[in-house]
Amino acid sequence: MTTTAAVGLAGQNALLRGSVSAAIVEMLDALRHSVVQVRVGQRGGGTGIIWRPDGAVLTNYHVVAQGGSDLQALFTDGRLLEARLFEADPSLDLALLEVSARDLPAVCVGDSARLRVGELVFALGHPWGERWVATVGVVSGLGTLHLPGHRSSISFIRSDVRLAPGNSGGPLLNARGEVVGINAMVFGGDLGVAIASRVASEWARDATSRRARLGVEV
Amino acid sequence: MEEQNQGLELLAALSRQMADAVDHISPALVLINSRPRLPGSGIVFSPEVVLTAEHVLEREEDLTVLTYDGRTLQGRLIGRDVTSDLAVLRVPGLNLAPALPASEPARVGQLTLAVGRPSAEGPMASIGIVSAVGGPLRTGRGAVLEKYIRTDATPYPGFSGGPLIDVEGNVLGMLTTGLVPNVALGIPAAAAWHIADLLARQGFVKRGYLGISTQPVRLPPHQRAGRAQEGGLLVVGVQEGSPAAKGGLLLGDLVVSLDGQPVSDPDSLQALLVGDRVGTEAKVEVIRGGELKTLTITIGQRQ
Repeated sequence: MTTTAAVGLAGQNALLRGSVSAAIVEMLDALRHSVVQVRVGQRGGGTGIIWRPDGAVLTNYHVVAQGGSDLQALFTDGRLLEARLFEADPSLDLALLEVSARDLPAVCVGDSARLRVGELVFALGHPWGERWVATVGVVSGLGTLHLPGHRSSISFIRSDVRLAPGNSGGPLLNARGEVVGINAMVFGGDLGVAIASRVASEWARDATSRRARLGVEV
Repeated sequence: MEEQNQGLELLAALSRQMADAVDHISPALVLINSRPRLPGSGIVFSPEVVLTAEHVLEREEDLTVLTYDGRTLQGRLIGRDVTSDLAVLRVPGLNLAPALPASEPARVGQLTLAVGRPSAEGPMASIGIVSAVGGPLRTGRGAVLEKYIRTDATPYPGFSGGPLIDVEGNVLGMLTTGLVPNVALGIPAAAAWHIADLLARQGFVKRGYLGISTQPVRLPPHQRAGRAQEGGLLVVGVQEGSPAAKGGLLLGDLVVSLDGQPVSDPDSLQALLVGDRVGTEAKVEVIRGGELKTLTITIGQRQ
């Protein structure tokens, strides 16, 4: 009886050996290179997401609002690059930064409209300035709100992933490692709030094309 | 590489399973309007009955229930039990499939989701594990919870009265922050369902009553009247006309057992005075003047 139980347990462990846990480790280990620390005036301000390989970094507007021209991005390989504020939307709390670099490891953006309450999510960021910290939780709730100056309602994600100042602007990731939200916490409360990735990617695309048009006109 | 892919698939499967669990419980999860500002949550117990946390019901009139499919229905209080923080409402026209209790009691380490319906926006969830399964627990409401589930899942405002579920979407317990303020405790499904059944049928829960105040004391070896038991309950008050007074219990008696079960603290005595003992005779052993005496007391009902 005891022997059978022991064999059963050992068999189970062999099947599961490191699998789920190791998958999380590997996933986050790869993704951390797509996350930067946004530094404002030599101090750690928040988190940024490498949005495109050409040097576009997405973060929260409130992270860089006080930064003026003194913005930098710290990469996992130790590079500290000057960053320029490219576009910002205070009402969405989003900002696009530009760094002079090519072939950066950009994130995969998932479809936040397909998120379900209860599914696993992860956060990567720099809470209290501690660099590249990962936390886990689930999607606690999905909501929408109307913002002045925006035609359609804005989707947001609540989660129980532990966040702290310094996580702002960092990614909320699903179990496939895709960015489904931008951790913002701006809507307050005792739970984390993230701006849905669909809202962020539409805004980033529009912001970039708007700049391109202006460039032609000038 | 294959191992890695398998791991990612398992991770995705676990994530999907938890979202499925929320979907599974969601139709049996209601919002309860019973206090100003903050609603509570409730669990569908039978097609027209909802189970919730007693402390959520700050009023007994004008109770409304919001269902997963957007219906607002009137609820009527059938019974509330302050000591266990459970209450049941009858909701005519509810007509929903009841939530299912998990087939096995909660185990420490088990993944759990706290689920509530604090707003019309949909269900909310937080993840944790079963941190402890303990008991008895003396609560701030003069109650003794024989068994409780402790979890590190976040109890968001409005979650009291909702379920703690397993990854299958079955109920491990009813979540409440009312028994110990701001601490997320689950009343195990078996106990919650039993009490809810009593409340639904008779509107109240019988609790046994003796009518004494006691204090636990250590018994020096020479005062144990030949028993091995190291502690007993010193009677420091006997209510006039109470079952204990009628049975001949006196101030200064040391209660050592009830129905042959040793008692050495108020909780263990309380645990023996369960509802089905009301009206029956119990043999109570006391040490009086260094000698063991057996009294017969008819257990009364706590009002």
